[in-house]
Amino acid sequence: MLFFVARRLFTAFITILVVVILAGVLIHVVPGDPITAMMAQSGSADAEDIARLTAQYGLDQPIWKQALLYVGNALQGDLGNTIRGGEPVAELLLDRLPNTIALAVAGLGTALVLGIPMGFIAAVNRGRAADFAVMLIAILGVSIPGFWMGLTFIQVFSLHLGWFPVAGTSARNIVLPALTLGVVHSALVARMTRSALVDILNEDYIRTARARGLRERQVLLVHAMRPAMISVVTVVGLVFAHLLGGQVITENVFSWNGIGRLAIQAMLQRDYPLVQGFIVIFATSIVLVTTMLDLLYGLLDPRVRRR
Amino acid sequence: MTDTTTNTRPGRLPAALRQWNIAVGALILGIVVLAAILAPWVAPYDPFKMASGPRLTGPTAAHWFGTDELGRDLFSRVLLGARLSLGIGFAAVAVGLVFGVIFGMVIAFSPERVKALLLRIVDVVYSFPDTLLALALVAFMGPGVENATIAIAISLIPFYARVTYGLAAVERAKPYVEAAQIAQAAPARIMRIQVLPNILQSLIVIGSIGFSSAILSAAGLSFLGLGVQPPSPEWGSILASGRNYISRAPWILIFPGLAICLTVLSFNLIGDGIRDFTDPKSRRRRT
Repeated sequence: MLFFVARRLFTAFITILVVVILAGVLIHVVPGDPITAMMAQSGSADAEDIARLTAQYGLDQPIWKQALLYVGNALQGDLGNTIRGGEPVAELLLDRLPNTIALAVAGLGTALVLGIPMGFIAAVNRGRAADFAVMLIAILGVSIPGFWMGLTFIQVFSLHLGWFPVAGTSARNIVLPALTLGVVHSALVARMTRSALVDILNEDYIRTARARGLRERQVLLVHAMRPAMISVVTVVGLVFAHLLGGQVITENVFSWNGIGRLAIQAMLQRDYPLVQGFIVIFATSIVLVTTMLDLLYGLLDPRVRRR
Repeated sequence: MTDTTTNTRPGRLPAALRQWNIAVGALILGIVVLAAILAPWVAPYDPFKMASGPRLTGPTAAHWFGTDELGRDLFSRVLLGARLSLGIGFAAVAVGLVFGVIFGMVIAFSPERVKALLLRIVDVVYSFPDTLLALALVAFMGPGVENATIAIAISLIPFYARVTYGLAAVERAKPYVEAAQIAQAAPARIMRIQVLPNILQSLIVIGSIGFSSAILSAAGLSFLGLGVQPPSPEWGSILASGRNYISRAPWILIFPGLAICLTVLSFNLIGDGIRDFTDPKSRRRRT
C-alpha cells in the first residue's frame, strides 16, 4: 500500500512539473516577440520595462533555462506579476480560488445527485422505456453547450421568474451556475453509473443473492450499488476535470468571481503571466483531485494497488 | 479489443442505418450540412446587412427567427453560421486526426523506454480538458478563426494519438508486421503501407467522435470572444452579442443555441450508434 501511495504521488509530482514547464515555455507560442506583445498591452514601453521583463522571463537565455527559471520561481510560489497593474499573479489567483472551489464542489455534487439515480434507474430497467428515456436525456445533456444552458437558466429563473439574482458572487448566486454545471455533467455520471451497474447485474453473485431469496431492494442497493459506486469514484476524477473546463465559461456567463472569469479577462487583455498562472493552478488542481481519487480507489479496491 | 474493422465495411452501412440513433443523427446532420452548403442561396436576407428589418423583433413571416440588435435577419445568420461551425469542426478534426495518427504511430513503433515516456506526456496533456487546452492556446496565439481552428485541432491531438496508439500497438504485434520487419522494411514504410490501411476504417469512425467536441469548443471560444469575431455569424458569437438583450429578445438566444445543440446531438447520436454497432458486447446485450 505504501509503495502504491508513493508511486502515485511521484507520478503526480512529475505530471505537475511537466505542466509547469509547458506553461513556462507557452509564451513562445505568441506570434512575434513576446516582450513587444506584452508591452503593447501595458501601454508604457520604455527600455527599463523591457529589460525588467526580459530578466523576469530569462528571455535572453536558452529556452531550457527559461523553463527552469519559471519552474524554480513557481516552486517558490512566485508566478510572476501581471502586465496590467503589476500585481503578483499567485496572490490574485489564490484570492479567487475559494470561489472557484465552491462552485466546482457544488456543481460536482449536483451532477452526482442527479446522475447516479438516473444511471441506477436506467440500469435496473435496462432495455425498457425508462432506460431509453434516461439515456435520451443523457445524450441531450452532453450535446447542450453549458453557456447556452446557463443563459437559458438566467432567462427563465432570474429574468422571468425572478427567483435568483442574474449575476454576482454570493450564496444565493451559486444555485444557477451550480445547476448549469450539474445538469450538463450529470449526463456523464448517469452513463457511467449505468454501464458499471449493468456489468455488475450480470455477475453470478447477484444471481446467487437473488436465488437465496434476498429482497430485490437489498440486492440492488447493497450487493450491486456498492461495487458500482467504486467504479463511479474513478470516473468522478474525469468528470471533475471536464467540469473545471466547463466552469471557466460558466463563471463568465454568471459573472462568478472565480479563477475562470479572471482568466478570460486576462486572455482578452493578453496578460500572459496571469494566463500562465491560471494554467498552472488549474492543471495542478486537476492532477491533485485525480490523484486523491486514485488513492481512494486503491483504498476501496485492493486489486487496484497491485496493478 | 473489439474488431471494428470487419464490422464497418461499406457493405454493412445500410445495416448501420437501421440503427435508430445513426438514422436520426444522420438525418439531422444531413439537414445541417445542406443548410451550410445552400446558405448563400437559401438565406432570405444578407446576413451582414443591418436594418434588414426592425430591430429586435420576434419571429414573423418576414423574419422566421426574428431580428437581432442591429436589425439583421437571424434566420440568414444562423444558416450561414452552419458553414462556419461545420467548417471549423471539419478543419480541426482533419488536422488533429492527421497529427494524432502520426504521433500515435510513432509512439507505437518506438523502443520500449521512449514509448513509456511519450505515452506519459500524451496522458498528461490528455488529462487536461480539451476546451481548456484550446482556450489556453488561443490566449497565446491571439483570437480569430484560424487560430481558434488550430487551437481546437491541437486540443484533439492527444485523444487521436492515444486511440491510434491503441490500434497500432495491436497491429504491430501481428505476424504480417513482423514479416515486414524481417524483410527490412523501414519503420515509416511499415506504418504507412502496412499498418495504416488496416486501422484506417476504425480511425475514421473514431474521428467522427471528435466533431462534437470540436464544435462545442468552437462555439465556446467564440462566445467568450476568443474565436470567430463579430460580425461573422458563428453560433457562439451570435449568442455572445445577443446575451445583453436576452430579456427583450429571447429568440436571439433560442435559435443559435438550438442549432449548436442539434448539430452536436447529431454527431453524438452517430458516434453512439457506431459504438453500439461495432461493439459486439453491446450488440449481444440488445438481443
